[in-house]
Amino acid sequence: MKNLLQSELRKLIYLRSNWLLLLWSGLFAALGTVAPILVFNSESRGMGMGFSGTNTPEGINAVFANAAGGYLFALIMGILIMTNEFRHGTAVGTFLVTPKRSTVLVAKLIAAAIAGLVVQVFSFLIATSAGVITLGFFEPHAPVTSELLWKIFRASVLSGIVLGIVGVGLGALVKNQIAAVTGAVIWTLIVEGLVVAFVESVGKYLPAGAITGLVDLDFGSNDFNFTIENYLSPLMATLVLLGYAALFSLVAVRTTLRRDLD
Amino acid sequence: MSSVKIEFSHLSKQYKDVLAVSDFSAQVISGRVTGFLGPNGAGKSTALRCLLGLVTPTGGSALVNGGPYSSLHDPIKQVGAVLDSRGFHPGLTAKQNLKVMASASGIDFARIDVVLKLVELEDATNKRTKGFSLGMKQRLSLAIAMLGDPEILVLDEPANGLDPFGIVWLREFVTKLAAEGRTILVSSHQLAEMQNTVNDVLIINKGKVVAQGSIDEIRQGKTLEEAFLALTARRSA
Ligand SMILES: Nc1ncnc2c1ncn2[C@@H]1O[C@H](COP(=O)(O)OP(=O)(O)O)[C@@H](O)[C@H]1O
Ligand SMILES: [Mg+2]
Repeated sequence: MKNLLQSELRKLIYLRSNWLLLLWSGLFAALGTVAPILVFNSESRGMGMGFSGTNTPEGINAVFANAAGGYLFALIMGILIMTNEFRHGTAVGTFLVTPKRSTVLVAKLIAAAIAGLVVQVFSFLIATSAGVITLGFFEPHAPVTSELLWKIFRASVLSGIVLGIVGVGLGALVKNQIAAVTGAVIWTLIVEGLVVAFVESVGKYLPAGAITGLVDLDFGSNDFNFTIENYLSPLMATLVLLGYAALFSLVAVRTTLRRDLD
Repeated sequence: MSSVKIEFSHLSKQYKDVLAVSDFSAQVISGRVTGFLGPNGAGKSTALRCLLGLVTPTGGSALVNGGPYSSLHDPIKQVGAVLDSRGFHPGLTAKQNLKVMASASGIDFARIDVVLKLVELEDATNKRTKGFSLGMKQRLSLAIAMLGDPEILVLDEPANGLDPFGIVWLREFVTKLAAEGRTILVSSHQLAEMQNTVNDVLIINKGKVVAQGSIDEIRQGKTLEEAFLALTARRSA
């Protein structure tokens, strides 16, 4: 297993596109913290969306919660780890070296968890740094507490690990790289957001809803009727996310076990 | 001392609406080059994929070194394979691709330079394989197959798409490996290409064994093509 994991990590490190993706995840998350600070402090004052400004703790919460928002890239990383094998026909080589497919899949799931973790820790660091620097231009503002950062870091780490694993399962299921990545992007950026916003009873169990519950911060938004009480507790949210990881691990192993390779 | 290295027994593979391999039984003897010949679509690749555990047979079995491929310990140290899906990543260099393979099975990285030299790719070691010519890709595939210094080699249409220089190079390469005593099963749909390289012949058509024997037995003084046509005509008559 140690050899196999090493081999999987080599694939990750050697591929330049993975480094590019890591960079994008940082930029995406940084946009998530910097943009709302600018909007809050502009003339339009959040364009009437009911968010509090950065002079209130709720406003600061809303801004920095986005530092955990790079999990889409952890998901994409997981998808690529799996679908690259089919896209380039390297699955054949991989399974010739290690015919025990479940062993290969376990190594891939661990590699994807590591990759997702790296993506989320990196984008958390970039996004919080960018947020703190940008806030410096808009004194006075409410403090960025270590409790706040800890909650978001916790959510970043867990969501990175879980979505990396989910990506492998999704990739194994869909096989086609472009379809899987496109589906993941549309789901995360559009569908999931709408469900979480408008059908809370379902949305709180979706990954994005569970991550919101795990972040466990009050954004003080009245217009969307947002209150953190409607979401899962951090403990429940963690269990739900781990449930997704378990489910998609099973999907990854089961779909790959007996599939014919050409 | 010759022994059976590869054994197909009553192997069948039914795809949705195609019976690609049908009750296929044959043996490959150690230390010999066996040509696995038959027209396109005869079922060669399917039989070899079953042998290598990539495709699950719907009937019968295919064993290598006495067991299913999936039961071999460190299989690439026993069996090397070149298949038409090449099994390496275009975004990685030749050496990186070999490192990925070597680290998965605990093979010393020193072996990488040895196999790259063996296939005469030492000048392209650090080039990404995206830019490789077909011949270079084929040689990298052979380097990957030789990584574990296996005694058995399974080559699926290794000459496909090669120019005449490439084909001559390949023929010499196979001959050299055979002289080292390795067991080689090499498929081709170009019957003439192989007749001076192989010791034994295994002919397949429409998923079934047509003939198996030493090259002289099969040819009986004719060319391989003539023999093949005669054999298939006799069968379908
Ligand atoms: N994955 C597959 N799904 C369905 N049919 C297949 C598949 N692979 C091969 N076949 C069919 O099985 C037959 C044998 O193919 P193949 O083993 O590739 O022959 P060969 O290698 O001798 O050219 C052909 O009719 C081919 O179309
Ligand atoms: Mg073929």
